[in-house]
Amino acid sequence: MSSAPRPFSGEAAAHAARAARLPLSPERLEIVGPTVELVYALIDLMDPVRLGETPPATAFDPRWSR
Amino acid sequence: MEPYALSLGAAAAEIAARRLSPVELVDSVLRRIDATEGAIDAFACVTADLARAAARRAEEEIAAGRHRGPLHGIPLGVKDLCDTAGVPTTSSSKVREGNVPDRDSVVVEHLLAAGMVMVGKTHTHEFAYGAITPTTRNPWDVRRIPGGSSGGSAAALAAGTCMVGVGTDTGGSIRIPAALCGTVGLKPTYGRSSKRGIAPLSWSLDHVGPLARNVRDCALVLNAIAGADPLDPSTLHAPVPDHTAGLDGGIAGLRVGVPVNHFFDHVSDDVAAAVRGAASVLEGLGARLQEVTIPHADAMMAAGWAIILPEASAYHQEALRERGDLYAPDVRLFLEAGELVLATDYLRALRVRTLIQQGWAEMFADIDVLIAPTVPLAAPVVGTAMIPWPGGVTEDITQALVRLTLPANLTGLPSLSLAVGFDAGGLPLGMQVIGRPLDEATVLRVGQAYECASDTVGRLAPL
Repeated sequence: MSSAPRPFSGEAAAHAARAARLPLSPERLEIVGPTVELVYALIDLMDPVRLGETPPATAFDPRWSR
Repeated sequence: MEPYALSLGAAAAEIAARRLSPVELVDSVLRRIDATEGAIDAFACVTADLARAAARRAEEEIAAGRHRGPLHGIPLGVKDLCDTAGVPTTSSSKVREGNVPDRDSVVVEHLLAAGMVMVGKTHTHEFAYGAITPTTRNPWDVRRIPGGSSGGSAAALAAGTCMVGVGTDTGGSIRIPAALCGTVGLKPTYGRSSKRGIAPLSWSLDHVGPLARNVRDCALVLNAIAGADPLDPSTLHAPVPDHTAGLDGGIAGLRVGVPVNHFFDHVSDDVAAAVRGAASVLEGLGARLQEVTIPHADAMMAAGWAIILPEASAYHQEALRERGDLYAPDVRLFLEAGELVLATDYLRALRVRTLIQQGWAEMFADIDVLIAPTVPLAAPVVGTAMIPWPGGVTEDITQALVRLTLPANLTGLPSLSLAVGFDAGGLPLGMQVIGRPLDEATVLRVGQAYECASDTVGRLAPL
């Protein structure tokens, strides 16, 4: 997987916010954008972890009565 | 000694012996609240009339021979994140202003059934989404933060304005304020206690537990709140032992892990020295210290935030769009950013969490508990945004405060924080003891052994 940084600004950021149906004004987007870039950079620290067939740590329990 | 200054255990003994009435005790605490609230603002609301009425009922019941146990008549502060019937529950947020639940959260239900007397709702960082608690000040130095998000509960305990505080912990929110305010705080195993009736921050990382003045008091409260809840699917169906039973059993031969990575990186000299000193105390009591390497350390913060951010944003999705301007700026920014985390990144974090859990299980094959600093520094001054570390490195304050506590949320393991020293300015320094799943008993036993061998646990702030 590419380890390139993920920019989050300009029209791409506005498009992502629209896709999330999150109404962000251009001024607000200028505040949120750099924070999202920091979040992506933090998340990308997981890149070196080889996950293979590892399942997610979810907690769904299919029993109808517990 | 004024009654408010007693620990839960000491007050309970006085009440059981009829040398102290719950009414005297609650009056003493309410007077203490009047004397200190102006300086620390630990409470979102004080329920003085309800508390006096409950104390009178407790007094009558005890006089009639219906003593419910050690929690009966003991003053309680409840984090404002937890529903309380007929009492405003705002999560310290304008978004929830005027919210008055019609029933208690399960944890409050259990504590009131045990006879505790709620004296008020304690401040939280808004919706538990932060480690500062900006409404509140640290009783050890009111120019400093109490930590968070259960900052009101910790500040109240340290000031003597309650004897037990209910806290919640998603990335460290019980243990961080416990460490910065010099109290004891216990995050039990994930699912040990019901979270029904508590506003969630991150469903898969949220825990609820006690803050108290000493280890035994935490054990007594855990006894009352632990257990499965059929209406909270995250709770575990597991036997609940008496957590006070083996408390004084000692730690001879116990294997205590001391991490060689992550937990002592970018930690103040004072904190590192205090925790290493505590390790020596445990060794002197017969424990065997063993160096261990924390697995997947570089991915822990990433996985934690990649889970918290979208889960929190999912819970607040509607309110953010309808009343976004009512959130505090920091919380609003987190919620907006969390909307934009990809689902694949969230699931990647959950998969990394599986590996972290497996790695910790393997690490625990050689140890019984792990000890580590709770937070990397003493309480920062209000307004501090970045923490400077040697080598020109700086770290965002929230990142710094949760860096050492978040691993126990990711792994779901029980973790106890207690004071193991004070810096030159008199500020408390905390150590956490992390144990195996559902093994709160051993974690508490280690804490109790340290507490009995030292004089750092149980002090009130000189306010």
